[in-house]
Amino acid sequence: MSGQALSGLKVVEWSDFVSGPYCGKLLADLGAEVIKVERPGTGDKARSYGPFPQDIPHPEKSGLFLYLNTNKLGVTLDVRTATGAQILSKLVEQADVLVENNPPREVEELGFAYKRLSEINPRLVMASITPFGQTGPYRDYRSCDLISFNASGLAFVNPSDGVEDPEGQPPLKGPGHQGDFVAGLSGAVATMAAVLTSRVTGSGQHVDVSEQEALASIMRSYLGLHAIEAMTWKRLKGSIPGMVSDKYHCADGMVYLLCGQDRFWAQWMKAMGDPDWAQNELFQDRISRRENWDAAKAMIEEWTRERTVEEVVRTADASRVPCRPINTVKALANSELAAARDYFVDVDHKEAGTVKYPVGPFKLSQTPWRVQRPAPLLGEHNEEVYCNRLGYTRQELTVMRAGGVI
Amino acid sequence: MHELPLEGIRVADFCHVWAGPHVTQWLAVMGAEVIKIESHLRPDLTRSFFAGGKTLMPGLNQSVDFAVLNYSKKGCTINMTLPRGIELAKEIISLSDVVTENFGGPVMDRWGLGYPDLKKLRGDIILYSGSGFGRTGPYKESPAYAPIIDAFAGLTSLNGYSGGEPCPFGVGGWTDLTAAQHGAFAILAALHHRYRTGEGQHIDLSMSEVDCAFLPDAVMDYTMNDRVQRPQGNRDIAMAPHGCYRCQGEDNWVTIAVSTDEEWKAFCNAVGNPEWANDERFRDGPSRWRNQDELDQLIQGWTRNHTDWQAAGLLQEAGVMAGPSLSPQAVVQDRHLAEREFFFDMEHPEMGTVRLPRLPLNMNHSPFGKYEHAPSIGEHNDYVFRELLKMAEEEIAQLQEEQVIF
Repeated sequence: MSGQALSGLKVVEWSDFVSGPYCGKLLADLGAEVIKVERPGTGDKARSYGPFPQDIPHPEKSGLFLYLNTNKLGVTLDVRTATGAQILSKLVEQADVLVENNPPREVEELGFAYKRLSEINPRLVMASITPFGQTGPYRDYRSCDLISFNASGLAFVNPSDGVEDPEGQPPLKGPGHQGDFVAGLSGAVATMAAVLTSRVTGSGQHVDVSEQEALASIMRSYLGLHAIEAMTWKRLKGSIPGMVSDKYHCADGMVYLLCGQDRFWAQWMKAMGDPDWAQNELFQDRISRRENWDAAKAMIEEWTRERTVEEVVRTADASRVPCRPINTVKALANSELAAARDYFVDVDHKEAGTVKYPVGPFKLSQTPWRVQRPAPLLGEHNEEVYCNRLGYTRQELTVMRAGGVI
Repeated sequence: MHELPLEGIRVADFCHVWAGPHVTQWLAVMGAEVIKIESHLRPDLTRSFFAGGKTLMPGLNQSVDFAVLNYSKKGCTINMTLPRGIELAKEIISLSDVVTENFGGPVMDRWGLGYPDLKKLRGDIILYSGSGFGRTGPYKESPAYAPIIDAFAGLTSLNGYSGGEPCPFGVGGWTDLTAAQHGAFAILAALHHRYRTGEGQHIDLSMSEVDCAFLPDAVMDYTMNDRVQRPQGNRDIAMAPHGCYRCQGEDNWVTIAVSTDEEWKAFCNAVGNPEWANDERFRDGPSRWRNQDELDQLIQGWTRNHTDWQAAGLLQEAGVMAGPSLSPQAVVQDRHLAEREFFFDMEHPEMGTVRLPRLPLNMNHSPFGKYEHAPSIGEHNDYVFRELLKMAEEEIAQLQEEQVIF
């Protein structure tokens, strides 16, 4: 094994909350050196978001922060002070990549526009991950996960099987911070594109990631169709062709089961003992079945309600019909699969102790994903970075601390 | 200067449906030569999805779904059920840097194209395997259907309206596409590693692990506090108001999120009700959060008299986070996305001009990458067999006759 996949890549992360930090995490977890810059005092917003052990807020114990910032070095810096701005410039000068998710206007006003940074460091890849990107009429709109998720069209088609009451049930955002995560993910892919480009050309680029576009891209099948055909999306359950409900109540929980396709339908009917109702002509072909899905589903559910989740899943597995329980996170964490694939990793942290975190979602045979260090304490690496790398003295560090710069 | 990062990289692509093709779509747009390997025995399933503009299925080359997931690739047809077909695939692989697959089981192994076999063909090969539950573990042979995976991985259990049942999440292909982007990132990281060390590797990506990576709050609330989270609707654990509110017009909605007292005052002024800011029930964050049912009623009283864009514009002007909830057709018409050229017109030999969404990949204020129409089935057979494999015309004709090239 020869180091990690991104060993040697130097990244400065001037980012807050989820989108930029997830981009930084993807890079750091594969071996890039990521220096995270936080504002003095409160630090990254994720530090105050939780979840916290016993629900007691503590800036070093937020689950969201701990997860998002594994493998990073952490420094504090007030970039709004002259000294702070100078220090950030020095960090950027030595870096391959700057990941930032600040409002575009603010970045320009503080003197960190790409044009200026590229003069300091022509090889710099600057990745700006913002709600609406660096250009266009909504460039300066303020946003959060809720706003971006809705601006992409994704909330309008969630839940995927529609709603009973479109007046009372608004478009629905995804759980947690799905939108911000996707923006960070697209940012990481685009950053790698620019890093590999600079390998050839020797010069950096300004990567412009819009969360609205990153999310709309996920909608690409629907958007392609809507761009070609004049269609109106209806949110009412049953009004979207093909969007049928496939969740079933069992005696002790729920399963998701796909049996609408011809092949699965035949297999599933056989598994249920070829019930008489299934002979009805309404259910003989896929199109007709889809039109009469509520009736079919009700009959299937009568059968599943009398059985446990485990029995239904076992029956489906035996007849090769796609089916899994609708797991809570707890059920997932305690599943055989989670154990066999090491879904969760124990990470030890000075303040938060040892807690299980989700692992990286890919296994690389030669350069495995791994946690080499837990998330940094606020300002934990000030001395290492400012003194050892940038050459400030401890005395100067004390002055900067007193002045609120770090 | 417009050098693409993956120029000179060749990908032998066995991917199909959504999750796999979206991985290689990223690589193709970044300049890689992606050779999609299909056959008339097994054309990519999406070739027969959502045929655009026609009521009947117009052959294999007019699917919008296929077009939107496979642009910028080349296509050839090889019958992999014949030994000679597998030999041809091996010849392509010998000339490739990356091999990609997302079969619903160990199909590559059966063909003698598992990672150890590929390494013999080319020592530094990078093999990407995408699957629902991983290439190891108890579900290594389960096919990958996103809603089934989301159910198993806990995502479905968290998606839905507050107090309601879990709901299948968003667009059908959500997890296909988020997994695919992680896959593209992992391949780029593996290429970065190969440039430095000459070493290839095998990437094993599981869609269910991708779901987990986006749910750290819920996972860690469980691992820290043994708490099982449930659907929260559009609400946030810290912000209030934080929701999607009914506007004037058919199924018209606006999202609003307020995080600080200053924003709350700005909101009250903007909606012409400055007295709300002095209301005891809404005085500070905790009070607003506690009383958000009443708060939502009041806000909806105001939003109902405005369209989504009126309300969003007014609030953004005042510095409050707000935006419309766009339907798929509204996304296609969105002026911001239009100005950023997120949609582009592509000439397609059979479909004519089709408007498709790009990837969220922008550099230096412009869309970045190579955009060419998705291949018709077997469109590049001549290039692949005659130019690349340097086969004689007679041999090609013979193999067509024998339905090896098919």
